[in-house]
Amino acid sequence: MRRLFKARYAVPAVLVGCVGLVGLLGFSPGPAQAVGTPSTTTPVTATTSSSSLPTPIGQPTAPSVSSALKATSPSNKTGIFYINLPASFIAPGQALFAANCSSCHGPEANGSTGVAPNLQGLGAGTVDFWVSTGRMPLAIAGVQATRKPPRFDRLQTLEIAAWVQSLTPGVGTQIPVVDTSSADLEAGGTLFTLNCAACHTITGAGDALMDGAYAPSLHLATTTQVVEAIRSGPGNMPRFGSGDITNTEARDIAAYIHGVIQHPSNPGGFALGGIGPVGEGFVGLLLGVGILMLVCFWIGERT
Amino acid sequence: MSDESPRTGPLPPAALDDPHLQPFARHPEGAQAVAAIAMVIGFIGFIGFGVAYWIGSSTQWEALTLGVGMLALGFGVTAWGKYLMPQGPFVEERHEFHSTDAERDAMTAAVVERGGMVVKRRKLLGGLFALGSATMGIVLLFPLVRSLGPKPGETLFETNWKRGSKLVTVDGRQITVDDLEVGGVLTVFPKGFEGSSPDQVILIRLASELQPLQSPGRTDWGVAGYVAYSKMCTHLGCPVGLYQHQTQQLVCPCHQSIFNVLAGALPEFGPAPRPLPQLPITVDATGLLRANGGFDQAVGPGFWERP
Amino acid sequence: MIDKSLRWVDDRLGIAKGGRTFLDKIFPDHWSFMLGEIALYSFVVLMVTGVFLTLYFVPSAHEIVYHGSYLPLRGQKVSEAYSSTVGLSFDVKSGLLMRQAHHWAADIFLGSIAVHMARVFFTGAFRKPRELNWIVGVTMLMLGIINGFLGYSLPDDLVSGTGIRIAFSIVESIPLVGSYLAFFLFGGNYPGNGVIIPRFYVLHVLIVPLVIMGLLGVHLGLLVKQKHTQFKGKGKTEDNVVGSPMFPTFMAKTTGFLFMTTAVIFLLGGFAQINPIWQFGQYEPFQISYAVQPDWYMGWLDGAARIMPSWEFVGWGHTIPLEIFLPAIIFPGIIFNIFVFWPFIESHHTKDLAYHNLLDRPRDRPKRTAAGAAMLSLLFMTFSASSTDVMANFFQVPLKDVLWFFRFAVIIVPIVAYVVTYKICNEMRAAEGVGKRKRAQIILRSPAGEYTTVESEPRPGDGHEELDAIPVPTYIDLVPPELATGAGVRRVIR
Repeated sequence: MRRLFKARYAVPAVLVGCVGLVGLLGFSPGPAQAVGTPSTTTPVTATTSSSSLPTPIGQPTAPSVSSALKATSPSNKTGIFYINLPASFIAPGQALFAANCSSCHGPEANGSTGVAPNLQGLGAGTVDFWVSTGRMPLAIAGVQATRKPPRFDRLQTLEIAAWVQSLTPGVGTQIPVVDTSSADLEAGGTLFTLNCAACHTITGAGDALMDGAYAPSLHLATTTQVVEAIRSGPGNMPRFGSGDITNTEARDIAAYIHGVIQHPSNPGGFALGGIGPVGEGFVGLLLGVGILMLVCFWIGERT
Repeated sequence: MSDESPRTGPLPPAALDDPHLQPFARHPEGAQAVAAIAMVIGFIGFIGFGVAYWIGSSTQWEALTLGVGMLALGFGVTAWGKYLMPQGPFVEERHEFHSTDAERDAMTAAVVERGGMVVKRRKLLGGLFALGSATMGIVLLFPLVRSLGPKPGETLFETNWKRGSKLVTVDGRQITVDDLEVGGVLTVFPKGFEGSSPDQVILIRLASELQPLQSPGRTDWGVAGYVAYSKMCTHLGCPVGLYQHQTQQLVCPCHQSIFNVLAGALPEFGPAPRPLPQLPITVDATGLLRANGGFDQAVGPGFWERP
Repeated sequence: MIDKSLRWVDDRLGIAKGGRTFLDKIFPDHWSFMLGEIALYSFVVLMVTGVFLTLYFVPSAHEIVYHGSYLPLRGQKVSEAYSSTVGLSFDVKSGLLMRQAHHWAADIFLGSIAVHMARVFFTGAFRKPRELNWIVGVTMLMLGIINGFLGYSLPDDLVSGTGIRIAFSIVESIPLVGSYLAFFLFGGNYPGNGVIIPRFYVLHVLIVPLVIMGLLGVHLGLLVKQKHTQFKGKGKTEDNVVGSPMFPTFMAKTTGFLFMTTAVIFLLGGFAQINPIWQFGQYEPFQISYAVQPDWYMGWLDGAARIMPSWEFVGWGHTIPLEIFLPAIIFPGIIFNIFVFWPFIESHHTKDLAYHNLLDRPRDRPKRTAAGAAMLSLLFMTFSASSTDVMANFFQVPLKDVLWFFRFAVIIVPIVAYVVTYKICNEMRAAEGVGKRKRAQIILRSPAGEYTTVESEPRPGDGHEELDAIPVPTYIDLVPPELATGAGVRRVIR
């Protein structure tokens, strides 16, 4: 029996074991699934700044953010209502923008060719999406900005958004407040499959697009960010207006992403990365057939 | 099967201490103990599976108990065979596969001579039997193959899009000219045929000035920035649902064919051979989007009858 | 008791003589000879778990409203096939375990056929008289691949439904008869009028398994009649087989292996989720997901379809879609014909028509081994090409670059593999004794300063101290009780 531990078995067994662990624990595609603390629907109070730029002006105080939001919210059965940010956000927003964004986007946020796009008319919701997902400020100029830990806290993000919005009042995507309590998950699933799965995959894992672009993973997106993305069409993503995907439908999609995509039902065991037959073949061949070949080694051995 | 070994007399009985009959293990008692423990674990595993099933445990517990039971029992039996049974090696003789030449000649003669009698003396009957059997074989294929489905006819060339067809979503909602934003995309069908596979169309709204002008004779196939293409990929028929609105490309998710939205969905890369057929669309007096005709060619992948 | 039962049966069937010979059958012991058993036992698991699944699966495309326990689907209109599969996964006790074990068993079945086939190929076990068995085996491989495709398409989910659409287009692309065949198979234009799921079901559950079982019987029967091949070694000739007897040794080992194969399949079936169709949703022909591939054994066809340039022949009022027809029909047609006819290709080339019961070491036939390596690398390249988008995403490389890489790799890598393997084989043959532990040389120095070397004593375990093979004994002397050991040698009654 001591023979079972010889090198003849040990080396292939270790190989099969390592490979099996890699396969079972899943494949984690690169920046499509960003590393970092996920931002939530409620305002974040901690600052996660790691830049060498001057400390952003303005101190975060959570109560003022949520009370500011609630004060302007009408009741709405569709589960989404769009808010107007208070005018008091505009001045601090301009200061933050000047200190952190104007070097690329210009002091009037109208962009410069080949460097940064014109932000005028895009709306507060668009700015909120890019900044709250950490994509802006841009770390490395490439084909597509990647999600990373946001530079600004919630209040600061909304202040910047308020200032950009103030340049073209009433125009562009507004900031949604999403209430998923009465969402229809089944409808959300159907809508997600028809409108979103072709790029983001049916499990929301994300995948590569043409010319270095990619559809990112949806596993860190908040419901607010989902609706902002749907309405503003960031990057290569189409812009779905309310005549295309209604507010109720957008709410259902956001609820589906939050409830099902981000908390998938995996009663079968390790999800193997959620990328379908590629991971399954890897595990089945290398782990399954591999282990059985090791058993063959053992059975077939003679003195 | 005939007995294998060409023995010329009775074999002497094998001695008890013949090394061929000894177990493989140097310590048979130890090997037996290990195999026994394994089998006991197997027994416990199977009992565990029974319990897990009855109390409604998760799939993982079911698999763990059943798997450990099988593995341990299997290990025990295999160890028994490998370490405790006669290790050999034993030998068995092979025999010639083929028959002797005389036997082969006899076989050939039987087939050729007796068969020759039939063929030469009863040619008429033999020929008629062959004709009848062959005909039977052929006509029996008719119900097996032909009854399976209809002939394609013109079906592959037709869709339900006609001049005046209203564009609707899969839920039947009619599309008006204000519904999509610039950069928006939607899957649409002709009214009354929601969900129908050959009729699936992808509707895109471009900025008005980007509307394709290069395709000769198609300047009026779009309206207010809207363009509509068949969603069925001309490669293998997958729905081309991936729209990149910055690069103005439609990408088929199956095999990554790329279609240029601004140039009549012309394929730029990948295996798709032909552009996605374009559906001419227009706006009616009430603002609803309608088709201005059907497709000018068959949608979807290529086939023999496609000119 | 055994005596009486044996006589009862033998009076009616006359099996005792043949039975005794059968029990004495010798199986050579080498680990690589057991690879086919992995396939055999995973097929057994497939059938057993498959029977379980047929008791719950409803092979119908008829639409119903889902009312099971998976909440995100509640209220959705789905086909009965999809609903019953989700029901198996969530609402049938042990249903998910059986479903996943069935699917893993299929993957392992085809994977083990591939390694078994590689072993038979590289050792030359397909040569006369075993060409027929090779053809039977390749046929089972083809049927297994088809049955796997049919099986994972049964649940009518988004991912496998896409594969069915592609299958329709592939059939449609055949010149002259393609559109007719496609319409016949599907009962009309795609998606057909609901007949494809029931037809796939009958093929998958009844017709193809029956054919495979028949071929399996032929495969094993030929193996019994022609006896297994063996490697060269002490006491082994073209005219004998050396190894362990069928009863009890081989039966014990193979029964244990059946259990262990089943164990691995069920452990995977419970711990590694496979084909979670509830996450994919019901198939609709106008919906699609990105990052979709077929199961691994069809991956090489998907990869070929992706890297194929968009050549299409249009002329004289007709179209031959070469971008489908070449990678999906001609390419596998050529590959499988090479597989099926390889014994004859090789014997035509080597002019070797002798019987071969002894196996080659792969290095002894450099051209064959190199050809096999080239084929494996071609299949591996096309297989890898089926996940171009996943690779582009994972390695952060532009998608077009990955595609162009594979277009060249598919041609260059097999050629390089052939050349490299050929050279390695020749080098290995030239360096005999490489790798074996050599006896140490003890260096002695005489007082005068002269160095001499003396080979040291062989260490225990050096070299293979195998016994000479003896025929299976006809009977064994009964042991006096006081001399009995624990080894349990029993008297055999004739």
